[in-house]
Amino acid sequence: MSRETLFALPARVGAGILSVADQVGGMTLLLGQALRRLFPPRVDRYELVRNLHRMGVQSLPIVIATAAFTGAIMVIQAAPLVIRFNARAFIGWGASFVTFREVGPLLIALMFNGRVGANNAAELGTMVVTEQVDGLRALAIDPIGYLVTPRILAMVVMIVALTVLGDGVAVIGSMITGDLLLDVHPRTFIASALPMLGPWDVIVGLIKSAIFGLMIALTSCYFGLSTRGGAPGVGRSVNASVVAAASGIFVADYLSTFVLG
Amino acid sequence: MTQAGLSEGHAPATSRRLGGPVIDGLRDLRDLFRLLGRTLSLISHGKREKGAIVEQMYFIGNRSLVFMCITMGFIGAIITFQSAVQSQRLLPDLTMLGATFIKLLVRDMAASLGAMPLATRVGAGIAAEIGSMVVTDQVDALRMCAADPVDYLVVPRFIAATLMGTAVLIIAGAVSIVSGMLIANGMFDVNFHTYLNFSMVTLGDVALGVTKMIAFCAAIAIISAQRGLATFGGSEGVGTATTRAVVGSSFAIIVLNFFISGLGYFFVPS
Amino acid sequence: MPIVFENIHKAFGDKVILDGVDFRIDDGECFFIVGASGAGKSVMIKHLIGLLRPDQGEIYLDGEEVSRLSERDLYPVRKKCAMVFQNATLFDSMTCAENVALPLRKHTGRSHGQALEAARERLELVHMQDFADSYPAELGDGMKKRVAIARALTLDPRYVLFDEPTTSLDPVSARRTDALIRSLCDDLGVTSVVVSHDLVSIFSIADRIAMLYKGHLRMLGTPKEFQETDDPVVRQFVRGEAEGPMDV
Repeated sequence: MSRETLFALPARVGAGILSVADQVGGMTLLLGQALRRLFPPRVDRYELVRNLHRMGVQSLPIVIATAAFTGAIMVIQAAPLVIRFNARAFIGWGASFVTFREVGPLLIALMFNGRVGANNAAELGTMVVTEQVDGLRALAIDPIGYLVTPRILAMVVMIVALTVLGDGVAVIGSMITGDLLLDVHPRTFIASALPMLGPWDVIVGLIKSAIFGLMIALTSCYFGLSTRGGAPGVGRSVNASVVAAASGIFVADYLSTFVLG
Repeated sequence: MTQAGLSEGHAPATSRRLGGPVIDGLRDLRDLFRLLGRTLSLISHGKREKGAIVEQMYFIGNRSLVFMCITMGFIGAIITFQSAVQSQRLLPDLTMLGATFIKLLVRDMAASLGAMPLATRVGAGIAAEIGSMVVTDQVDALRMCAADPVDYLVVPRFIAATLMGTAVLIIAGAVSIVSGMLIANGMFDVNFHTYLNFSMVTLGDVALGVTKMIAFCAAIAIISAQRGLATFGGSEGVGTATTRAVVGSSFAIIVLNFFISGLGYFFVPS
Repeated sequence: MPIVFENIHKAFGDKVILDGVDFRIDDGECFFIVGASGAGKSVMIKHLIGLLRPDQGEIYLDGEEVSRLSERDLYPVRKKCAMVFQNATLFDSMTCAENVALPLRKHTGRSHGQALEAARERLELVHMQDFADSYPAELGDGMKKRVAIARALTLDPRYVLFDEPTTSLDPVSARRTDALIRSLCDDLGVTSVVVSHDLVSIFSIADRIAMLYKGHLRMLGTPKEFQETDDPVVRQFVRGEAEGPMDV
């Protein structure tokens, strides 16, 4: 085996680690710069409202559809076990607990990443390659305060709002499926859920989804703004952004599950 | 363009907003099934280049294996942790923790939860690659060389994604069992032997799980390729195509899962 | 005080673009920077508002050295020195009026509504008032460029930089753009710095011309001097000849 092949693997692993470190560092810097624009608030209010509106409208149908199907699928999957352990009385609690704590925030974040995160990376990437970001600078407008801070705020606020909605839709989906498939009356479903669920279960889920939102916002802004090389460059950025955000979501989910659990 | 021309263009746009999404959705669905048909028929008698499939298998399989193992590793740990906490509230017995998790994993989660990140990784890649070729007129150049873009671009990706995607999902599913086992042992004192309990897994579960994997991977490949081929409008178009590929395939996975799981509930009893 | 470039060096990686360029631009002038594609014309003017930094050398604008200023200190510079980009770079998520209103809203403390009102007036100056509510994607190149000029003029800059204003325009739009640039100098006393290789614009509206060639200033003079020069490279360029000593 020659020297090159012997060192090829460690070299690639090392290069991979370095580039991940570079990206994480870049995102942290971007977060710092974006947060500095909040003290005193120099956020463009018009951009904030526009982004909130756009992101909400973009992802509302997909979030509702995803949540409804997911709620139904959870009950279908659990049905054999519920029958086996004769746990009909617990299905309401089980489905709502899993939805609020885990499945709701996670699936909505994945969908939000694909829809809003990818779109955001594409939009910023296009602005970079068509010199619109330089255009902003030439008009003496700060690109971070104008482009990044409002988007981060909008994404965090919007994902939390969508998670509240999605959680509700998913639980209704579970309730209907439970009624049809297992003859669990909605009243039984609710009666099993309410006494055992605390506000903490919902809050944990919402904290998680705010973290996921921040993650998606930072990754998509970072990869969008570091786009190079024309139309293929925008495609590459979007691709890198959704993949990085998806990994980030799972790592953050893992960490927050233990910290908040 | 005169102002009258502009406002004429805008009036139907407003009214189109109502029925538009439905019609667009149906048209997309029709295009998808057409592309699926072309692809399936070309698999048997296409004349694509040698090595194209292997190359795509490498890109789609090997290059997403690490990402998928990490992702599913975390998922295994998270689910084991959550279900242990949840079931401890009901009964303190955790002996069935592993058996239940493994059954659900084989029957559903290895396929459905794994396919979501796979759609992000593979779907975005396919759409961005084909989309860039469309906007830089390379696909038209292929046509000029009398090469069928579906045969040349879609078929290798479809075969590679279906085979390698399924393989990657199986490996990643195994990784999530290991990570779940480590968490169960480290945090809840369930020993490895008790956790690794395959007694609840039936042949039907395995068949159902593998069917799902194949269906999801095929859906990712076809939807992303279709989005890529339908790209228009420069760099912004490639971004849009990528977005629609990820969202479209993720949503398709959820809908397919709903139907396959529903059928499985009635026809593959556990 | 005018614009002064002193000994500017700039390289991208190994590729040397500017290798020691000096010249000054006087107030109220319509100054052209010309040269073959890739000669560093656009790079030159992007230095003036800090979009690029020189590797070496100094740039003075109104007596202030601008090449070492921080991004935030450059904002006042950019307010008095506007730039019209080659591809217009209108923000495609906004209508034309919103594009023009943006600098007003950000820098003059006007509300969104007031800024839009003022933006419509600005669009009238470039005869684009009928397209105030259109999006950039709906317009042709010539119209986009006019909106971009209106946007650049909103803060009443004393200097305006034009990056290839007539490239990719049809001949009629190109001549209208020329007339607009010339009227800025004549009517408003604005100093225009125009990067171009459009021979018609160069000889119809320029007061003085600087030609860049291989990283150096090849010639500086009036259009008349350019037409009568003995330098074979410059002669080839101004006559647009295929054969000659010029490397492109």
